[in-house]
Amino acid sequence: MTAAAGDEPGPDVVLRALADPNRRQILRLVRGTELPAGQIAAHFANVTQQGISQHLRVLERAGLLSERRAGTRRLYTLRPEPLDQVRAVLAEFWPAALTQLKAAVERDNPPSGGTS
Amino acid sequence: MTSPDPLIATIRIAAPPTAVFPYLIEAPLLARWIGDATGSTPEPGGAFALAIGDSTSVRGQFLTVDPPKRVVFTWGVPGRDVLPAGSTTVEIVLTPDGPDTIVELTHHGLPRSEVASHQAGWTGLLDVLARVAAR
Repeated sequence: MTAAAGDEPGPDVVLRALADPNRRQILRLVRGTELPAGQIAAHFANVTQQGISQHLRVLERAGLLSERRAGTRRLYTLRPEPLDQVRAVLAEFWPAALTQLKAAVERDNPPSGGTS
Repeated sequence: MTSPDPLIATIRIAAPPTAVFPYLIEAPLLARWIGDATGSTPEPGGAFALAIGDSTSVRGQFLTVDPPKRVVFTWGVPGRDVLPAGSTTVEIVLTPDGPDTIVELTHHGLPRSEVASHQAGWTGLLDVLARVAAR
């Protein structure tokens, strides 16, 4: 376990890191296992080793990857804690939707108000 | 494996439950608050499909339709390894309060970080969230 909870990057950083399909693919690869950069790169025909290194850095900065040295190699694995922040984003989706529900229902069902 | 603590959202609407309930099940009315519905069969086992934003489609199936009180449906994103169809459920309960309705929405079964390492089915959620956040 690394980084205290208070040091987590904000959800924007996490979401930006996740916005790239190659980076999401990297996270899928290292979920539940540790891989060196070379083996990660081997899964991508169209991305250079340099490109992969850059993606790894972005993911690490977002707190989504943890790195461990094993001899001369660096092994990467998923660090899922920031996903809680992302879950918090979904927690904003439903209240926003309910606000739209309220607006729609109340527009369609105006209070009978005065007479008639 | 599912989340022990669901997401809960509530709101008060100035209309009786009978006026609110159709918005929870009928395609043209769902479109007014969640997303464009391409179909909805509001009965247990009946399916619906919604488009949220440009490219996120949600598929679900009604489990309970109890007008004008309660509706339960599954909520999933097909073709993604997160939120596979049927993996999470949304429950909406309508409670009359004078002339108003209290709406309580509970989303059960969302993946959490503690289980993400072991559980397939979370990265598609991230795709959805990225779009929600981008709005």
